[in-house]
Amino acid sequence: MLRFLIVRFGLIAITLLVVSVAIFAVTEVLPGDVAWHILGQGATAENLEAVREKLDLNRPAHIRYLGWVSNALRGDLGDSYLQNRPVIEIIKPRLFNSLVLAVFAFLVAVPTAVATGVWAGVRSNSVGDQVVSAISLAGISLPEFVTGVTLMVIFGSTLHWLPSSSIILPGTSPLTRPLILILPTLTLTGVLFAYIMRMTRANVIEVMQENYVRTAILKGLPMRQVIFRHVIPNAMLPTISVIAINVGWMFGGLIIVENVFAYPGLGRLLLVSIQSRDVPLLQALALLIAVTFSLSNLAADLSYGILNPRIRIS
Amino acid sequence: MNKQDTDIAQLIQVNRLAVTFYTPLGTIRAVRDASFEVRHGEVLGVVGESGCGKSTVAYAVMGYLPGINSVEGDIHFEGNDILNMSASELYRLRGDRVAMVYQDPGTSLNPSMRVGPQVKEVLRGNLGLDSEQAKNRTIELFDSVGLADPDGIGRSYPHQLSGGMQQRIVIAMALACDPDLLIMDEPTTGLDVTTEATILDLVVDLKKRVRAGILYVSHNLGVIARVADRVAVMYAGQIIEQASVHELFKNPQHPYTAGLLTCVPQPPSHDGTIDRLIGIPGTIYDAAKDNIDACLFSPRCPMAQERCRTEAPGISDTGNLRQSRCFFWNDVTPGIWGETETRYDIRQTTTPVLTAKGLRRFYGQWQRKYLFFGPRVKPPVRAVVDVNLEVRAGRTLGIVGESGSGKTTVARIITGLTERNRGELRLREEDLAPGVEDRSHEQKAALRMVFQNPTASLNPWLPISHPILRSLQKHANMSRKESREYAIELLQAVGLAPAYMERLPGELSGGEQQRVALASAFAGKADLIVADEAVSSLDVSIQAQVLELLDKHQREKGTSYIFISHDLGVVRYVSDDILVLYAGHVAESGPAKYVLNPPSHPYTEALLSAAPIPDPDATLDGIRLPGAVPTLRERFQGCFFTGRCPRKIGAICDNTPPTAHSGPDSSEHIIYCHIPVEELKAMQRK
Amino acid sequence: MANASINRITLSGLLRAGGAKIAELGHSLLYLFRLALRTPGGRIGLPIVMLYLLLAFIGPLLAPYPATDFHLDNQLESPSSQFWLGTDQFGRDILSRVMSGARSIIGISVAGAALGIALGTLVGMSSGYKGGKTDEVVMRIMDGLMSFPSLLMALLILTSLGASRVNIVLTIGIVFIAPVSRVMRSITLALKTQEFVQSARMRGENQVYIIFREILPNAIPVLIVEGSVRLSYAILLASSLGFLGLGVQPPSPDWGLMISESRRFIVLAPWVALAPSVAVASLVIGVNLLSDGIRQARRLPQGEKEL
Repeated sequence: MLRFLIVRFGLIAITLLVVSVAIFAVTEVLPGDVAWHILGQGATAENLEAVREKLDLNRPAHIRYLGWVSNALRGDLGDSYLQNRPVIEIIKPRLFNSLVLAVFAFLVAVPTAVATGVWAGVRSNSVGDQVVSAISLAGISLPEFVTGVTLMVIFGSTLHWLPSSSIILPGTSPLTRPLILILPTLTLTGVLFAYIMRMTRANVIEVMQENYVRTAILKGLPMRQVIFRHVIPNAMLPTISVIAINVGWMFGGLIIVENVFAYPGLGRLLLVSIQSRDVPLLQALALLIAVTFSLSNLAADLSYGILNPRIRIS
Repeated sequence: MNKQDTDIAQLIQVNRLAVTFYTPLGTIRAVRDASFEVRHGEVLGVVGESGCGKSTVAYAVMGYLPGINSVEGDIHFEGNDILNMSASELYRLRGDRVAMVYQDPGTSLNPSMRVGPQVKEVLRGNLGLDSEQAKNRTIELFDSVGLADPDGIGRSYPHQLSGGMQQRIVIAMALACDPDLLIMDEPTTGLDVTTEATILDLVVDLKKRVRAGILYVSHNLGVIARVADRVAVMYAGQIIEQASVHELFKNPQHPYTAGLLTCVPQPPSHDGTIDRLIGIPGTIYDAAKDNIDACLFSPRCPMAQERCRTEAPGISDTGNLRQSRCFFWNDVTPGIWGETETRYDIRQTTTPVLTAKGLRRFYGQWQRKYLFFGPRVKPPVRAVVDVNLEVRAGRTLGIVGESGSGKTTVARIITGLTERNRGELRLREEDLAPGVEDRSHEQKAALRMVFQNPTASLNPWLPISHPILRSLQKHANMSRKESREYAIELLQAVGLAPAYMERLPGELSGGEQQRVALASAFAGKADLIVADEAVSSLDVSIQAQVLELLDKHQREKGTSYIFISHDLGVVRYVSDDILVLYAGHVAESGPAKYVLNPPSHPYTEALLSAAPIPDPDATLDGIRLPGAVPTLRERFQGCFFTGRCPRKIGAICDNTPPTAHSGPDSSEHIIYCHIPVEELKAMQRK
Repeated sequence: MANASINRITLSGLLRAGGAKIAELGHSLLYLFRLALRTPGGRIGLPIVMLYLLLAFIGPLLAPYPATDFHLDNQLESPSSQFWLGTDQFGRDILSRVMSGARSIIGISVAGAALGIALGTLVGMSSGYKGGKTDEVVMRIMDGLMSFPSLLMALLILTSLGASRVNIVLTIGIVFIAPVSRVMRSITLALKTQEFVQSARMRGENQVYIIFREILPNAIPVLIVEGSVRLSYAILLASSLGFLGLGVQPPSPDWGLMISESRRFIVLAPWVALAPSVAVASLVIGVNLLSDGIRQARRLPQGEKEL
């Protein structure tokens, strides 16, 4: 167990290292110049040089990287080039806003998707299953911006039931206007629901064909008991890791959804930081994403190990 | 059928059963015509080769036939037709009145549930016991199937138990409600032979204890001879003969039954001679083919006449409660497949082709508690430990052992597919590099291998000529044109027409695929062919054909073989010398007649005693090994066999590893055991 | 020695092998499509995909107007007999833009997915076959790459390369290396223990021969399934990039971009968003249906045997 954790944390550390080097390298070759971005069209050569000097851009890349790493290890992720304040301060409120969306989406999507997946899996190829499968296929096929814009047109601009955009004023919490959360959450939920449901259904169908399910049926157990005691526990194990992978994917969805609804979260911040070459901000965001992804994977593996007797007792 | 008999205690009656499955890619006639009955307290053995429909019959009796299918005929259980039962009637029947034991117990138990509750839920569901009663009954049941520590085992998960224990759990589960009919579908297939023997003992014991009728399905004639009272033989979905077990084995009334019996190696007679096996030519009538107006066996039958090819024989009574589906049942004698000849002839050569000293292979490395620091917690798997062997020119070395004995690792070390950690390997006095990639072309050509699974040993995407042509081009330095001509010759030598050249492996049967594998091993004049379980996945009738091909090639070309198998009967049949492996160690080695006739080492003795013999009248030694093969992670302090040895003599076995000493009759016979040779000899001769 | 000549990799040999591989691929593709047509998913999906493929080839020819022509008198007009799906803010015919846009998105997605499959197969198969430390390192890097949402990675790469059609294809290809290589590695790991690979080793075949001649053909069915999955992701990715304004640049007709631009007039003219939305959705649904069909067809009994 201890050994397992040591190995896993070691791997996470390596992953973070790879990620930070990669981001640094990519931003290094980004065309354009941060100084130019900050000053805009009217910049003079001296102004540009002054900004570069101030931002420490004249030193070689690997020195700057090492400097960044040693600061990061001390908990200082640096200042944003553009906004000129610590990136942590910039990220914090945005992180909260995005978490609100993500948590709501998960709370809605995971239970419904798992329940529907099991329901459809045990009666595979029935009419009900085919209807649910068709819906979920549409779910994974529709890009978030299509779902988002469509929902916006229907519930926002046509029916006027819900606000079309989810702008919130700086310094206020999205929870004070819960109505603006509904459409973005719904958009995120759509894809999540479809993925998790499809995987759950596939796992259930696979487990239904196992020999031990045949044993359970031929033992004379009623179908209910076969499904609840023999099928579901075994089908849930691989479903856990599917859910974990979706935690990582969520960020991709957030970029789009926050853009569609003009919601001030990490996704929008990320897009801005890429477009403006704000390297410290981008680095911090990228690490945040990688950490989230790695930790959710670790959590999945741990719960998998705890729930699976073959791993727990060995 | 005699009316009075059916009234006595008839439990289940199957009448003209036919099961057809409709798959998206074709119709499979799994069962074409099967009629039989099982009475209280008797065991009906159903025997047949793969694809003959025997398992489908078993599941049909359970009323369990998944997929799109049509079923004809009827299955009467105490007067009610199982095939017409509603779901709730079936639910009352299953588990309670009719119960089943499956092949492969490992996958038949729920991996995420402790085994005790898996038995308890049957008792609670079918008998309505409360939790306490169910628990006590479960413990009783575990006890009755010979599980020591029933309480502790009930709290285990399936993966913590050995295959034998898992199968005992499944049997306990089947016995839970004291069923009237017990269906056993290949319950010992896939288990080690020593485990198989103990499970068969349990089945024989159950026969006396329970009043249930048993339908026992198996492909293994030896197993059927051991457990069955009556036997039904199936071929291509039809029952072709039914008789009491003694009469069936002694005096078969269908040419197929007679042929099957000539395909299975029998133990040697007292003078040490072995009857040559005679295979059944051709392949089984495919389940995808339609029913025709002919005997389905006629294409392979030596007695077939015009009538057999134009008229389908029905099953008919032949007196003495026997039935046969042959027009000429009265003319069937064992001799129809050719006169038996003696095979035993030790080839007296002494030139070694391959010598190995101290071969060793461990898998994995010591793992430490905190990755790079801390105490060593998990040792490597000691798969092969200090194995010595020698193969002589033109002779066959048989390597026998159970799963985990290291026999496959030895084969892979010799062929260089697995690199050895230590030890010396010489082919014709020349060193062999550990990895096959580092060996010379001549060495690669001289050392070939035939694998267990013929389907996997041919690339499904390339025509079957591919491996043969490549072998010829690489090992015999032939041009493309030459290699094509010679490949055709090779194919013909293994009994395949030249038209096969461009076929894909998927179009061939398992037996034909293994012939192709042989042909490519024969290409390029190998000195030594390593055959790893090369006939184990084949049906007996095909197995005999392949063994015959191997034998013929050896007689003509003088190639040496290493023949590896878990099946002692087959190893004994083909081998001049034998090496017995246990838990990665050599237990005994030497010329076959000294090693096996009679056995010396306690493990060899137990192996021989456990091997099922295809003769219902065979006398049984009854030496059984308790427990299972030890985990190979521990280093043995004393003898590798001490944990299970029925002849353990004391502390010396636990503390000191045995050294090699030579056997009573020959200095080439090496035994690793603390018991002095004379005593071993005296023990065995009794 | 004669053996040496067999082992040497010659240009003509490679071409011949490559030709054979493409023929094999085509053969199994046709076979799988035929099988897929027996499943409901394939029966609906294949025609949709075929329709869009047709549009990609001759869409601009069939379109009633050139995609970039302004009809300044008809800005934001609702669907009519003149403009079947209405017009956008510059009076461009939306039907024509959607029809012409098919070529761009399908071209980019197919090329991107193909590139990703090719690179991922190369990385995954060689890493899997080599095994040991090399494999360990390569897979760690792939895991690191996989811990990024693909859209984010694509944004990063694309901004550093600069937005152009070729760069979008490159970006999609690079983003797909990690997931494809993981799939191909796992199948290689499974295949390399197969006995026909062992017997090729014993024959003395070299590694390149074993990977390409013995293992790769067996991976083709998996490759086709993976390809169809990647294609649907590629379409999603390319159109998302377009939506974020980082994909194909205006005034070229791009579905994602059209939707993005339409948001400004969404209250006034919802049809501007409607047509490209339906187009992208139905295309992805079609590809996914087809890929489901292929996967299902592969699981049909005996279907496996022939492959």
